[in-house]
Amino acid sequence: MIMLFALIAQSLRRVRKFLLAAGVLLAGFQVVLILQANSIQTSNTFAQMGAMVPAFARDVLGPSFVAFLTFKGIVCLGYFHPVVMGALVSVSLTLATIPVMEIETGFIDLVLARPVARHWIVTRSILVAVISTAYLLAMMAIGTWIGLSYFAAKSAAWPSASLIGSLAINLGFLTLCWAAIAMAIGCACRRRGSAGAIAGLLALTAYLTDYIGRAWKPAESVAWLSPFRYYTPFELVMGSALSAKNLYVLGGIAAAAFALAYLLYSRRDISH
Amino acid sequence: MPSGSAAISIRGLTKRYGKLIAVDRLDLEVRRGEVFGFLGLNGAGKTTTIRILLDLLRPTSGSAAIFGHDCQSDSLKARSTVGYLPGEMGIYSDLTGHEVLKFLERIGGGSVSKEHRHSLTERFELGDRDLSRKLREYSTGMKRKLGLIQAFQADPLLLILDEPTEGLDPLMQESFYEVLADARQRGRTVFMSSHVLPEVERVCDRIAVLRKGEVVLLSSVEDARKLASRNVRVAFQQEVAIPASLPQGYEMIDAKPRSWTLRVTGQLGSLPAFLAALPVADLAVEEARLEDVLVKYYRDGAE
Repeated sequence: MIMLFALIAQSLRRVRKFLLAAGVLLAGFQVVLILQANSIQTSNTFAQMGAMVPAFARDVLGPSFVAFLTFKGIVCLGYFHPVVMGALVSVSLTLATIPVMEIETGFIDLVLARPVARHWIVTRSILVAVISTAYLLAMMAIGTWIGLSYFAAKSAAWPSASLIGSLAINLGFLTLCWAAIAMAIGCACRRRGSAGAIAGLLALTAYLTDYIGRAWKPAESVAWLSPFRYYTPFELVMGSALSAKNLYVLGGIAAAAFALAYLLYSRRDISH
Repeated sequence: MPSGSAAISIRGLTKRYGKLIAVDRLDLEVRRGEVFGFLGLNGAGKTTTIRILLDLLRPTSGSAAIFGHDCQSDSLKARSTVGYLPGEMGIYSDLTGHEVLKFLERIGGGSVSKEHRHSLTERFELGDRDLSRKLREYSTGMKRKLGLIQAFQADPLLLILDEPTEGLDPLMQESFYEVLADARQRGRTVFMSSHVLPEVERVCDRIAVLRKGEVVLLSSVEDARKLASRNVRVAFQQEVAIPASLPQGYEMIDAKPRSWTLRVTGQLGSLPAFLAALPVADLAVEEARLEDVLVKYYRDGAE
């Protein structure tokens, strides 16, 4: 156990500045969104904004569009804005490819020359990904709380804590799902650059597949393959409960990919 | 740890990368308490063998064991006895020397004696001030010294050292030889690869020369030295005729009326008889150099 703690502490120490910066930026983003939402709320222009959107776009977006163009909707946007999702997925890819980076730099030679089983390296990386994801989501929630407490108009209808919690949990599962996929890819690659590029391209393709699938019916036949399909912020904003099915699917993909990472890492040659 | 077993035992070890054979049916045994030199040109398979011992690489066939523990199926026990210095230290530059040593101690599982570590840092002249600096401020030599300290700090039973003196200045090389001698005195086994042949000659008990993944020479340093041809210079009191034939293993390099230079391969036992009838004024035998033997094996392989 001391050894596992030492490995986790060493990894977290290495990424602490990166995580700190990412956490502050994500929290700041929530505050900025709340400032914007507050500005629209006080000028009473949500209705005007809705009227400016073409009818076909409203048809495509469906009833969730109405829910989105509210103070609550803009605040919740901080949990599914492409920038936020992109940042979280990027952080998860970066952390998940640490094992392959350690192989590439030769650092792992010194670690594995000691009585450290290979599965501890993967376990360490999973725990670091979980801790980092939880920290980033907590920072986002803190940003939301600060924004609402200090910058939101009292008359505005705030999103409930359970809604923010549901969004964060669903987003956390999605982030871990990509961390697991990237880790499995990384455990099969020789270079971190290759692993990051493959995982990043896969994430982008999956995001676009889901996006197109939501707007264009024929694409729905393949959109179910995208992990992003199982993150449903619009439904949550509209009042649906957090879908257990979505969490099972994302958790299942993550578990399978982590298992694959264990298998690949235990069997591979450690050579740089 | 099974008693009586060799420190390292390698049987029919083969490692292939596609069509490339990095190590080919290698058989080797390193005895407890000896300093073993593992030699060969770049790409001969030395590092591949070392990495298989540490379970970093998986062999295509064959097996390797450390103190009787199989390096694959029982690798944790095998590695718990090892201190390893890699050829290249892949340590993050934002760590300090202290942090590196502490981290490697914690994941090592065993305890590190503070006195022992202190004596190592003193010998390698890496004081507290140096160890408090980040590795990005370290020179190549300082990183090497840190690498040696981390390998020796837990006083492991087996030291696997890949090119240990690369990047060390002559004074630090001397310190390394002292530390090595101490480890040997305490009964530790050392398995080291090196390109520095005078160093091998000085510190190793036995050597193995690897060429294209195969052992082409396995012997004690003494016996290997005997394989070297030595130059013998003979000065005469008066002019002598050049002999029509020479004993086996003798070769005339330079023949002048009053002096000869002969190259003698093997033992010199027959030399006095050969020269007995000649008016010898002076005789000089050059010391045999291991280097001369090894370079031949590097180039040609086994004879």
